[in-house]
Parts: sequence; structure tokens; C-alpha cells
Amino acid sequence: MPQDRENYILFKLGGTSYAIKSNDVQQMEMVEHITPVPNAPSFVEGLVFLRGEVIPAINLRVRFGFEKIEYDIKTRIIVVQRGNRKVGLIVDNAREFVVIPNDVITPPPEAISELSGQYLEGVATLGDRLVLILKIDEVLNLTDRIKPENIEGGT
Amino acid sequence: MAVKKEKQKVREKKNLDDNAIRSRNVSSSRIKEYALEIERSGNELSKINSRLKEGKELEVRKLDDVIKGVNEFTTVVKEMENQLESIAASAEEHTSSINEMAASIEQVTASMVSLTTSINETAASMTEISASIKNVAENAQEMATSTAQVTTSINEIASSIKHVSGEADSFVTSINETASTIDEMARSIQSVAANADDLSSAADETSSSINEMAASIEEVSATTENLASLVEQISASIEQTARSIQSVASNAERISESASSSASASAQLDRSIRSVANLSKTADEITRRAARDAQEGGITIEKSIQALLKIMETMKQSSNVIRDMGKRSSEIGSIINTINLIAERTNLLSLNASIEAARAGEAGRGFAVVAEEIRNLAERAAKATSEIANIIKGFQEVTQEAVISTNEGLKIAEEGSSLAEDAGKSLKKILLGIEETAQLVNQISTATNEQLTAGQNLVNEVNVVSNQAKQIAISTSEQTRTVQGMVQISGQIRRIAQQVSQAMAEQAKASRDIMKAAQNTSTYAFQVSKATKEQASGANQIVQAMENMRKGTNVIAKAMAEQATAGEEVSREAVRVARLIESISKAMNEQATAVNQVNTAVENMRKQADQTTRAMSEQSRAMKDISTATENITKQIKLITGANKKQTELSLKINEFISEIRRLHETDAQVVHDFTSIVSNLVEKIKSVDIFM
Repeated sequence: MPQDRENYILFKLGGTSYAIKSNDVQQMEMVEHITPVPNAPSFVEGLVFLRGEVIPAINLRVRFGFEKIEYDIKTRIIVVQRGNRKVGLIVDNAREFVVIPNDVITPPPEAISELSGQYLEGVATLGDRLVLILKIDEVLNLTDRIKPENIEGGT
Repeated sequence: MAVKKEKQKVREKKNLDDNAIRSRNVSSSRIKEYALEIERSGNELSKINSRLKEGKELEVRKLDDVIKGVNEFTTVVKEMENQLESIAASAEEHTSSINEMAASIEQVTASMVSLTTSINETAASMTEISASIKNVAENAQEMATSTAQVTTSINEIASSIKHVSGEADSFVTSINETASTIDEMARSIQSVAANADDLSSAADETSSSINEMAASIEEVSATTENLASLVEQISASIEQTARSIQSVASNAERISESASSSASASAQLDRSIRSVANLSKTADEITRRAARDAQEGGITIEKSIQALLKIMETMKQSSNVIRDMGKRSSEIGSIINTINLIAERTNLLSLNASIEAARAGEAGRGFAVVAEEIRNLAERAAKATSEIANIIKGFQEVTQEAVISTNEGLKIAEEGSSLAEDAGKSLKKILLGIEETAQLVNQISTATNEQLTAGQNLVNEVNVVSNQAKQIAISTSEQTRTVQGMVQISGQIRRIAQQVSQAMAEQAKASRDIMKAAQNTSTYAFQVSKATKEQASGANQIVQAMENMRKGTNVIAKAMAEQATAGEEVSREAVRVARLIESISKAMNEQATAVNQVNTAVENMRKQADQTTRAMSEQSRAMKDISTATENITKQIKLITGANKKQTELSLKINEFISEIRRLHETDAQVVHDFTSIVSNLVEKIKSVDIFM
């Protein structure tokens, strides 16, 4: 595969399209059974059991500060992997597998880099669609860094 | 010897009374002349008397004609009253039919206002009839009073007959006396003739005979005066009769007038009854038309109900089908959900496949293409499914709407059907009411036909009354002529009586002369007394003869008594008539009560009157016309009743006059009878004077 372009999985959250590298995704599933975890931060929905592994599931809407909505037939759990760490991201919808050339990706604007910029790798334009490309490391780190005390203070 | 002695005596007496005999002879001849004159006058009087009798008999015959005419008239008037009653009964029937019809029309139709008005008018008419019946009742009572008066008059007549009978008895006695006197005189004269040889005795007898004659002449003179006064009485009676007859004539004319006004009212009655008949016919036609329309309407409504029932059934079927469709479409929905799920899962699988293929690098390239194609197919499937879902959703909405509108349609159809059923029931009621109305119209027609017949009879009766009145007028004018003849005759009698009176006065004068002459022969009075004894013995025989005569007159008196009894019977009949009139008046009062009840019923009906249909309004109008015509009939009946009343009053008056004339005639008859007796008495006396002479 040439390096001037990469495979992405597109997903939607609150009407916005996000992209995440296909290589970081281990698998995708429908939401079936989530076992709640006591004393967990509010964005942690609980634990899911997938392919013999127990994986924490994070509601990305809550994590990004959006309103929480009911799960439906289109709700997906995207299992991402960095090294040995695996996390399930619960998103509104995910149904596309796209190839995005590197040259259509631009860095995030300066004005938003302070807050949202740390999660974003860049912004890609696909035809007339605008797609935010997530920094998966930051998303995972954030999950690690935040402690219950901080979350309460942060929210 | 004795004879010789007596002859001697006579001769002596003859010498003594020569002068006296001479003067007596002169008087005798004069008396004979007068006697002849009186006899002539008597005969003439007899002739006049017989003519008078003839005149009276003719008059009595005419009176009988008049009475017969008046009686027939009264019968005809009574028949007329019966006809009027039958018309009134028929009119009542008629009115009750109209009232029943009013009730029926009220059930059937709206707006009874005009009919109510007509019922009011009918009620007013009934009230008028009631008033008229009351008047008739009052008249009947007046009739009763009149009859009572008639009874009293008849009783008076009876007592008068009795009284006359008594007078006849005393008259008979006087006849007896007179006859005995005359017979005695005859005997005496015969005895004088037998003893003609005995001059002395003859002279005595003559003297006494002269005295007797003088007395007789005085008596005759007195009788003649009596006769003259009787003649005056007869004249007065005849004049009174003439006056009565004239008033009878004027009453007969008035009856004629009122009969003709009855006739015109009857003709009007006939006309108004005919107009009622025509109106009834029109009402019948209208009723038939309404019945036909109502029947047609009923059939149409029946058809509508059938059609509505079919619609309801069809709608129920469609409703079921639509519900079934709804069920099926929800089944389809659940299938679509399943398909959706499958599409989503396919998408998920293809994505996972793509991820795996990407990891495999170049080796997974072909697999990635397949995964892409699968994902596209799944996407297309999802899109199609969502379209189907949308369509099904729309379909379900439409189905729901269809269910709702079908239910509404069903409800409306049910309402329509029940409304149509109500309409059908109403139409049936209307039909029933119309049938009742038709029956009532038929009843009215029947009553009107009866009225027509009765009215025609009435017209005929009134014509008969008119004819009777004319006949009475003719008879009365004939009577007037007869009475005028009688007046002439009585004038002649009066003149003759005056002549007789004069002759008698002369006779009296002559008899006084004779008396003077007779005084000279008074010396033979003792012989006369002897003759008187013989006369006395003869008188006994005469008394016997007179007894026979008296018996005869007793028979007459008995006949008079029978007349009195007959008069009493007449009076009893009159009382019975009065009772009948009373019962009539009672019946009239009952009629008035019945009429009042009818009035109340009419009032009730009027209250019930409320609504009528448009088709029925024509009928109502026709009814109003009938009512008006009925009112006219009532008016006509009232007019006729008024005329009848007048006629009855007038015929009562005529009856009074006739009874008065009767009384006068009875008096006349008595006077004529007396007159005849006196004349025959006079004639006999004159004859005896002749013999004596």
C-alpha cells in the first residue's frame, strides 16, 4: 500500500463525521450487552465481552461533552487497539470504509487547537463532506489520565 | 022545556045585545083583515127564515172547508217540522263527521289553523242552532198555553151549551103553557059552538073569548117585539161574523206571504246543500290524491331503507378488509425490521471484513473488493427497506383513515336507515289518518245526500203549504160573499119585522075596541065560567098532549147534554195535546243539551288541532268551505223555522177566529130556532083567531 494515502473507518457523532485509521481498529460490533462498572466515570458505560476479551466501553458522546442518546440498531462499538490496550468507543453510527489521500488532510485551525486540537490530527474534505480525523492516542490517553476526582471537577 | 026556556033566554039576550053584536061584527072584520096580513107576513117570514137557514148552511159548509184547509195546513206544517228535524239531525251528523275529521286531519297533518277556525264557526253555528231550538221550545210552551186557553174556551162553550139546554127547557114549558091556553081556547070555542042555541051562554063565551083573544093579541104583540129584538141580535151576530171572516182573510194572506218566504229560504237551503255535496266530492278527490302520494312515498322509503341496508353491509365488509390490511401491513413492518437488522449486520460484517483485508495488505485486496461490494449491496438493501418502511407507514396511515371513515359511514348509514324507518312509520300514520279522513268524507257525502232528499221534501212541503194557504184564502172570500148575502137577508127580515110590529100595533088597537064591545056582554060572565069548567076538563087532555111534546124537547135537551159531553171530550183532547206539546218542548230542551255537549266536544277538538302538511292544506280549505256551507244551511233552517213559527202563530189565530165564528153561529142557530118557534107560535095563534072569528 503506498504511503501517500491511508484507510479510515468513518463514524458519526452528533451529526459530525469523524475518521479513525483502519489499522487502529480491531473490530466493530453492535451494542448488545454492557455490564456497568461501579464507581466509574460517567462516560464509561461499562464492560463488554468480545472475542474472549473483557473490554471497557466509553460513550464518546459523553466523553466529548455531547448529549447522551438511546442506543439503536445503528449504534456501534468500535474496538480500537494501541499496543496491548483495547477500548470500545460507542458511536452513533459507523458504516463506511474509505481511503483518504494525505494531501486532502489539513491540520486543525489554530483557533481550536487549544481545546479540541489535542484530539484532532487534521480535517479532511471528501467531496463536499468535512471529516474530522481523530488522534487515537490522545483519545486513549485522555481515558487513562482522567481520574474520577478530575472528571467531577472537569464536568 | 029546558030548551025552550033557554031559547027564550037567548032571544032576550039577543035583543039586549044587538048593538054590541053590531059593533063586534065591525071589529071582527077588521081583526080578520089584520089576521090575514099577519098570516101573510108570517109566511113571508117563514120563507126568509128558510133562506136564512140556507145561507147559514152554506156558510157552515164553507167554514168546514176552511177548517179542513187549516187542519191540512197544520198537518203539512208539522210534516215540514219533521223534515226540518231530519235535516237538523242530518246536519248534526254532518257536523260530528266534520269534527271527527278535524281530529283525524290533526293527527295526520300540521297547521290545522284554518280547520280550527272552521270548527269555531261550526261551534258558533251549533250555538245558534241551540238558541233556535230554545226558541222553538219556548214557542212550544206558548202553544201549550194557547191550547190550555182553547181548553178553557171549549169548557165555556160546553157550559154555554148546558145553559142553552136549560133555557130550551123553560122555553118548552112556555110552549106548553101557550099550547094549553090555545087548546083551552079552542075547546071553549067548540063548546060555545055546541051550545049555539044557548045565546046567553054563547054571549058569555064570546065575551070571554074576546078577552082571551085580546090577551092573546097582546101576547102576540109582545112576542113580535121580542122577534124584532131577536132580528137585531141576528144582524149584530152576522156583522160580527163578517168582521171575523175578514180578519181570517187577512191572516190567510199573511200565511201566504210567510209560506212564500219559506219557499225561497228552502230553495236557498237546497242550493247550499248542493254546494256542500260538491265540496265533499272535491275533498274526497284530494284525500285520494294524498293517499296515493303517501303510498308512493312509502314505497320509495322502503326502497331507500333496502339500499341503505345494502350499503351498510358492504361498508362492514370493506371495514373488515381494511382492518385485515392494517394487520398485514404491521406484519410487513416487522418483516422490514428484520430485513433492516440483516442489512445492518451485513454492513457491519463487510466493514470488519474490510478492516481485516486492509491488515492483510496486498493479499487482502480482492477480499476488500468483495467486502466493498457486499457493503454496497447491504446499503442498497437498507435504502430499499427504508423506502418500503415509508410506503408501509403511509399505507398504514391511509388504512387507519379508511377504517375511521368506514366507521363514520357505517354510523351515518345506520342513522339514515333509522331515519328512513321513522319516515316510513310517519307515512303509515299519515296513510291511516288519510283513510280515516276518506271514511269521514264518505260519511259527510252520505249525510249531504240525506240532506238533499230532506231539503227536496221540504221544498215540496212548503209548496203544499203555499197551496193550502191559497185555498184558505179562496174559501174565506167565498165566506165573505155568503155573509154579505146574509147581511142583505137580515136587512129584509128587519124590515118585515117592523111591518109585523106595525100590524100588531094596529091589531092591539082593534082588540081594544073589541074589548069595549065585549064589556057589554060581561053580564054573561057566569055562563062563561061554566064553559071554563068544561075547558078545564079539556085542558087536561091538552096537558097530556103537551107532556108528549115536552118529552120531545127533553130529547133535544139530552142531545144538548151530549153536545156538552162532546165538548168536554174535546177539552180532554186539548189537554192531551198540551201534554204532547210539553213532551215536545222537553225533547227540544234535550236537543239543546245535546247540542251543548257537541259544542264542548268541538271545543276540545279545536284545542288538539296543531299542525298540518302542505298537501293537507287544500283539504283544510275545502273543509272550511264545507263548514261555511253548513253554516249557510243552519241559517236557512233558522229562516225556515222562523217562517214556520209565524205560520203556526197565524194558524193558531185563524183557529181562534174560527172558533169565535162557531160561537157566533151557535148563537145565530139558537136565535133562528127561537125565531122559528115564535113565528110558528104566531101562525098558530092567528089560525086560532081565524077559527074563533
